[in-house]
Amino acid sequence: MNIFWQELRFNRRTTIIWMVAFAFGIFSYMSLYTAFSHDVSQSMKLLQGFPPVVRAVLGIRIESFFTVLGFFGYMLTYLWLIGSIQAMNLGTGILSKEISGKTADFLLSKPISRFKVLTSKLAAALVIIIATNIVFVTASYFSAEVFKTKDFDVTVFALTCLTMLFIQLFFLSLGFLISVLVPKIKSVLAYSLPIVFGFFIIGMLDSVIGAENARYLTPFKYFDVGYIALHSAYEWRFLLTEALVVIVCVVVTYIIFTRRDIQAPV
Amino acid sequence: MNIIETKKLTKYYGKSLGIENVDLTVKEGEIFGFIGPNGAGKSTTIRTLLGLIHPTSGSATIFGRDITKFGPEINEEIGYLPSEVFYYDGMKVIDLIKYSANFYKKDSRVISKRIKELAVYLDLDLKKKIDDLSYGNKKKVGIIQGLLHEPKLIILDEPTGGLDPLMQQRFFDLLRQENKKGVTILFSSHILSEVQKLCDRVAIIKNGKIIRVDKISSLAENTHKRFKLETAVRVDKSRFTGIRGISDLVITDNSVSFLFRGRINEITKIIASLNLTNMLVEEPDLEEIFMHYYV
Repeated sequence: MNIFWQELRFNRRTTIIWMVAFAFGIFSYMSLYTAFSHDVSQSMKLLQGFPPVVRAVLGIRIESFFTVLGFFGYMLTYLWLIGSIQAMNLGTGILSKEISGKTADFLLSKPISRFKVLTSKLAAALVIIIATNIVFVTASYFSAEVFKTKDFDVTVFALTCLTMLFIQLFFLSLGFLISVLVPKIKSVLAYSLPIVFGFFIIGMLDSVIGAENARYLTPFKYFDVGYIALHSAYEWRFLLTEALVVIVCVVVTYIIFTRRDIQAPV
Repeated sequence: MNIIETKKLTKYYGKSLGIENVDLTVKEGEIFGFIGPNGAGKSTTIRTLLGLIHPTSGSATIFGRDITKFGPEINEEIGYLPSEVFYYDGMKVIDLIKYSANFYKKDSRVISKRIKELAVYLDLDLKKKIDDLSYGNKKKVGIIQGLLHEPKLIILDEPTGGLDPLMQQRFFDLLRQENKKGVTILFSSHILSEVQKLCDRVAIIKNGKIIRVDKISSLAENTHKRFKLETAVRVDKSRFTGIRGISDLVITDNSVSFLFRGRINEITKIIASLNLTNMLVEEPDLEEIFMHYYV
């Protein structure tokens, strides 16, 4: 538990900044909804003027864009992108900072097994991600309530918001894996940004190509806001894909980390 | 009882050798020196004992328990101080020390008392940020976090860097006090005078292999003599050929110098036949013996 609490302390400031940024961003964006939905026909005409490819890349669906959920769902893709960076930073950094900061000798010569070290750090990261999501959902719900013009389906809204948690879990576990695969990570951002943006760009290309199977390639395509709105559910096959990726990443991380040699800091 | 026992402990880093067939026994209550130049395998041995790296082959026990199976249990009773200490950015000394203390099962009140005593003894301000500390003061943080749980075995890997002579003296006194209480100490260093001051027995390691284990006293005594002769004329090198035990022979126009280990009579006969102007026979210091093992 010692490491767990210490990690929460270490990450407190960063996490609060992320939370505030999310809450502020969501509220600011949703405040535009009133103006946007005020003159639907005008806005619709504007959007129809965009070539279909551009709309696909941007993830705009004209039919749902003007409901509060659709409007929120549009922004969600970009929130995922930001949330992914947070999760990836956290996952990549929480272990690798012991190596890059040369504190691994200190920590691992304590009477605690590698397994417990990793579990504590994983638990702390999970708590941070869940806490962020609580703020995220609350801010989203609050903004939607304030700026809505009509009532919306709370279940669909909740499911839509929760996609953030799943996307973050994907990148958190991937970050953990990266942190044990790369011998020494000097800058966490040098890994998290290219990887997250890489997946994001694959997602954008998917939207243009429209190949169904290509959706497995990127977590940004695992959750389709349109599908959630229609069925009030996730698509199981993608949920399973995600679970598989997370489990494999975490298990491999455990295997590598418990066997790894900690080199003398130089 | 043996506190540390290694059997054919071997570590390869990929293909390059770390240590090979290291057999060491450190007895309870002993201060055991571990000397060798940089890169000889001192740290590799210590890091293997601590479970930071995993042995390629061979085995080791500490307190009679296998290091690969009981790592956390063993570390409960070990205090480790590396040559360079690194801690978390932005942390205060006291927070780091408390974090460290929380890993141990020992009564927290006993530990708190001990922390205060050590801080006073080493003259360290616990309220400062670690980032603001000098190298030597960081080392003190290392000493406190290594000793706060009153370990039964203290492992020191070239620990004195950064400490001024006065503080080094205090640190050694502290180690002697601990040793008097029955604590076993493994002290690795490449500085012989330190080892000579503190240790009972010493192992010399070279290129990953233990080349000698001996008592400090027997290592220094009756092994080698340093002969320094001043001669009237240049002595021919052939005068010394065929005599066993001569090493490090240097002949100049009017001096001869060598290390000798063997029958003293044999050498005095030869010296008697030379045209000497002066002669000096010294106990070589450990440094010289040590160098002898490395040349």
